[in-house]
Amino acid sequence: MGIEKFIFYIFSVLLIASASMVITVRNPVKAALFLVLAFFASAVLWLLIKAEFLAIVLVLVYVGAVMVLFLFVVMMLDINIERMRAGFIRYLPLGILVALTMAGMLIWVVSGDGSAFNHSVLHGPSYSNTQALGLVLYTNYVYPFEIAAVILLVAIIAAITLTLRRRPNTKHQKPAEQIAVKRHDRVRMVKMKAEERK
Amino acid sequence: MLENYLPVFIFILVGVVVGGVMITIGFMMGPHRPDDEKLSPYECGFKAFEDARMKFDVRYYLVAILFIIFDLEIAFLFPWAVVLKEIGMFGYAAMVVFLGILVVGFIYEWKKGGLEWE
Amino acid sequence: MIEWITSLLSFLPSGWVTVIIILIKIVVIVLPLMLAVAYLTYAERKIIGAMQVRLGPTRVGWNGSLQPIADALKLMFKEIIIPAKASKFLFLLAPLLLIGPALAAWAVIPFDAQMVLANVNAGLLYVLAITSIGVYGVIIAGWASNSKYALLGAMRSAAQIVSYEIAMGFALVGVLMAAGSLNFGDIVRGQEGYGFVSWYMWPLLPLFVIYFISGVAETNRAPFDMAEGESEIVAGFHVEYSGMPFAVFFLAEYANMILISALASVMFLGGWLSPLAGLLPDSVFEIPLLGPLLGSGIHWFFIKIAVFLFFFLWFRATFPRYRYDQIMRLGWKVFIPITIVWLLVLGIAILAGLPPWFSAA
Repeated sequence: MGIEKFIFYIFSVLLIASASMVITVRNPVKAALFLVLAFFASAVLWLLIKAEFLAIVLVLVYVGAVMVLFLFVVMMLDINIERMRAGFIRYLPLGILVALTMAGMLIWVVSGDGSAFNHSVLHGPSYSNTQALGLVLYTNYVYPFEIAAVILLVAIIAAITLTLRRRPNTKHQKPAEQIAVKRHDRVRMVKMKAEERK
Repeated sequence: MLENYLPVFIFILVGVVVGGVMITIGFMMGPHRPDDEKLSPYECGFKAFEDARMKFDVRYYLVAILFIIFDLEIAFLFPWAVVLKEIGMFGYAAMVVFLGILVVGFIYEWKKGGLEWE
Repeated sequence: MIEWITSLLSFLPSGWVTVIIILIKIVVIVLPLMLAVAYLTYAERKIIGAMQVRLGPTRVGWNGSLQPIADALKLMFKEIIIPAKASKFLFLLAPLLLIGPALAAWAVIPFDAQMVLANVNAGLLYVLAITSIGVYGVIIAGWASNSKYALLGAMRSAAQIVSYEIAMGFALVGVLMAAGSLNFGDIVRGQEGYGFVSWYMWPLLPLFVIYFISGVAETNRAPFDMAEGESEIVAGFHVEYSGMPFAVFFLAEYANMILISALASVMFLGGWLSPLAGLLPDSVFEIPLLGPLLGSGIHWFFIKIAVFLFFFLWFRATFPRYRYDQIMRLGWKVFIPITIVWLLVLGIAILAGLPPWFSAA
């Protein structure tokens, strides 16, 4: 039991430290990398409460996919840090409001009569929560599951309409057309009388 | 379950440490004679013009976004694949509908030319 | 062996003993892996040499057999150049992010019926997650170098890796459906029965082919080596690397090749299972010497890995490099539709209990 607590504290500290680095570090690329570290640390914490599937999917989806996009964007766009700093004071009240709401909700959930946590059951070592999840997700919760598909569909369409720009003057080969070219497409024989030289 | 993950965790550490040790060896063994020309970024022998961190075609972002969506789709497929035999025909039909909706998106993306590189 | 070490270390607290034993096991996996990587480079030069009617390395040691050692030593004594204006920490972190996952994925791979370091329930998911971290190494290497070629190579490489990861993920889902478990040991045991006929490569043939080709693309190997296409962007994301950091990149690439081969043999070719077990009468496997050789065991696993590695090298010697738009077209427009269709076909086959693979036994 001791070692579990030890690991918990190490990764909680790591999580909080890297999360605060995300918002304090100056270089946006480094901030994104700290966010990766934060996701990693929280995956370990989820693993500690035996949410095996969710922990690994957190790494797979957030670290493996979402943060790659973040890095792409942050690296390639010129983000003007000075201008972002200027907005700090203006958005501060809104930020504080959001933070307070979230803190309030957390306290409300945790300090209740504990009914939210009473459902946790300990399982044996061969228990696979991937399997347990699968057994309910596609049967009892099939409607939310299909709604998830619709949300993803909306995301695909939104992504395409927002980012797809046809560039008019790209130069690319069309090998099929190149091969299909016949002589008369390229050379035109012109019959004409010889001209007199002036 | 957790004791099964201890070796995994140690292995990740060892993997990183192996790389770290190798680079440290390189630093200890190799010479250190920096000069301006040597440290300048590679540019086929020219002086570098304009900043290396340039803007990229938006197509790369589109690929990344689509990757996220399909990755999520795969995450949904994993538990389904594991329990397919238990949930039987109903579960199969649920996934056919799920994939069907996403295939609509895929076809849209295809027809719009979101998958073209030119 | 393990008992002997435990008794030797009995003066330490039991927690430490567990950790030390794990460390010893890890070393037993990593050291041969490193050696295999070294000799894979040698095999590559020899085999491609033979395919191109050359000799390959011949000078160092018998028939050039010490060449990889010489290469390693040479790289060790080279200067490590960190370009001006590069972010030093990220520049050196990038190779670690590639080698770490390439090695750590081995934690869950079963070598034999009993031989596995971590018998994790969600083994396959873990491998997919840990290998998806490798792309950071590429992106960070490209960005931290502060060089145009490196950044171009990194972007190309990252977009390519990411695209093929989807096809790969779908192929893995097929394996999962067939086995009904995320545990690699269970996946191999699901392929027991009638020797090589029971392997998943037959019902999953399209997925198997797609998995392996995606594996070649994920490791940025020829013919998908756009990212380092020497003729246009010199060496891609690692153009600015020299000495040991370069060696680490190199090592990671080859370790990933071996990893992909090992995963392919575990998931599609029955890992340690013999292709003959279950087909020949039991008495054959009791013949001294020949019996264990023909029976299931770790040697079959290694033979299968070697076959896949040979394919990697063969591809490189045979195919011309793809153009970038062709790479993306293959990944998105060919592989993804095929995998989706095949998953649905496979679902029907599994629910119908298609023998001999899915019969409800």
